[in-house]
Amino acid sequence: MRARRVKGLDPDGTLADNAEQIVRVRLDELCGFMPTAADPREVVALHDMRIAAKRLRYILEITGPCFGPYAKTATRLVKDVQDLLGEIHDCDVQIPETAAFAEMLQVADAAALYQAAGSAPDLDPALLKQAPHAREHAGVAVLQAHLRARRLLLFDRFIELWDDLERKGLRARLEYAAGERADVHFEPQR
Amino acid sequence: MAKAQDIEVAPSEPYRQAAARIVRVRAGELFESADGVLDTRDIERVHDMRVASRRLRAVLEIFAPCFPQSEFKGVLRDVKQLADALGERRDPDVHIDALRSFSKTLLAANKPGVARLVEDLRARQSDGNEVLAAALERAQDRGLHERLLALADAAEPVAPEPVAVEPDAAAPDAAAPDAAEPDAAAEPAAGGRAPA
Repeated sequence: MRARRVKGLDPDGTLADNAEQIVRVRLDELCGFMPTAADPREVVALHDMRIAAKRLRYILEITGPCFGPYAKTATRLVKDVQDLLGEIHDCDVQIPETAAFAEMLQVADAAALYQAAGSAPDLDPALLKQAPHAREHAGVAVLQAHLRARRLLLFDRFIELWDDLERKGLRARLEYAAGERADVHFEPQR
Repeated sequence: MAKAQDIEVAPSEPYRQAAARIVRVRAGELFESADGVLDTRDIERVHDMRVASRRLRAVLEIFAPCFPQSEFKGVLRDVKQLADALGERRDPDVHIDALRSFSKTLLAANKPGVARLVEDLRARQSDGNEVLAAALERAQDRGLHERLLALADAAEPVAPEPVAVEPDAAAPDAAAPDAAEPDAAAEPAAGGRAPA
């Protein structure tokens, strides 16, 4: 997902004034994925929302100390969102990969059984024991069930987390904090 | 996991100055973490380098307006390519690790299927390692670290020119070689951004 362009950045301005603009755009980007990403079938929106959370998290990690105290809390909360969406994304990648792997084992076994049957009028079920992957199907099926169940569970946790962040006013509080300036001074060393 | 160095920032610090400072630190962290990264027995090394690449990429994007755009685009593209290669190695690492933990919880009858999948992922891990080895070599050949440091230097704000001392035209040593010193002092630091 391409990041939205932040207009009006001034290379000769201060760090905080530029970072504030970036934070506002990245926060708007993140929040803009809801309510679309509240649909568990919206795999792409969930993935893009994770990227948006990552971008917001990084700007906050680097420049958060320039802002009001809530920026530090927001950094942690946004990381929680990113981590949870990351776990969901892993399931979304692994579910089809595992399905493709199961299919590959079945196709290989079918070919071997066909070969073993030779000119028999029908396939003898007893031949199944000789299938090269006979002992492997069960574990892959269990893994598929595990991944699907985990994905459902993690999505529920994500909705709970986002609802909680909305109740706690993440967006409004971070916008306010981004407009504040911390009383920090130091002499940077090259 | 190697923790990123904490970098102090102040709200009033010039954006350009922060860009130069932070890119230098994050570029250093990326290349410091390259040691032993191709060793598949220690998956934390590639993880550390991948995290360092993400942090570097993030700061490049955050401070993009501070850099000369022609050089910036090429450097960002090379950092992305390295990060992608690190991902190709890291993804199977993570998957293998998760499957091993998962397998421990399974009934004996279910373990062979998961072991077979791990075997399959080992081949992907090996392919990923080759991609990473090529990307590391490419980064070195293209002088990525040096180009990152040059980019940081180019972002640095230009120091104000010192007030030139007008040599006394009547003085007998007005044309002496040391009269050129004030101009020399006004030069930007090596690699620094040329005055506009």
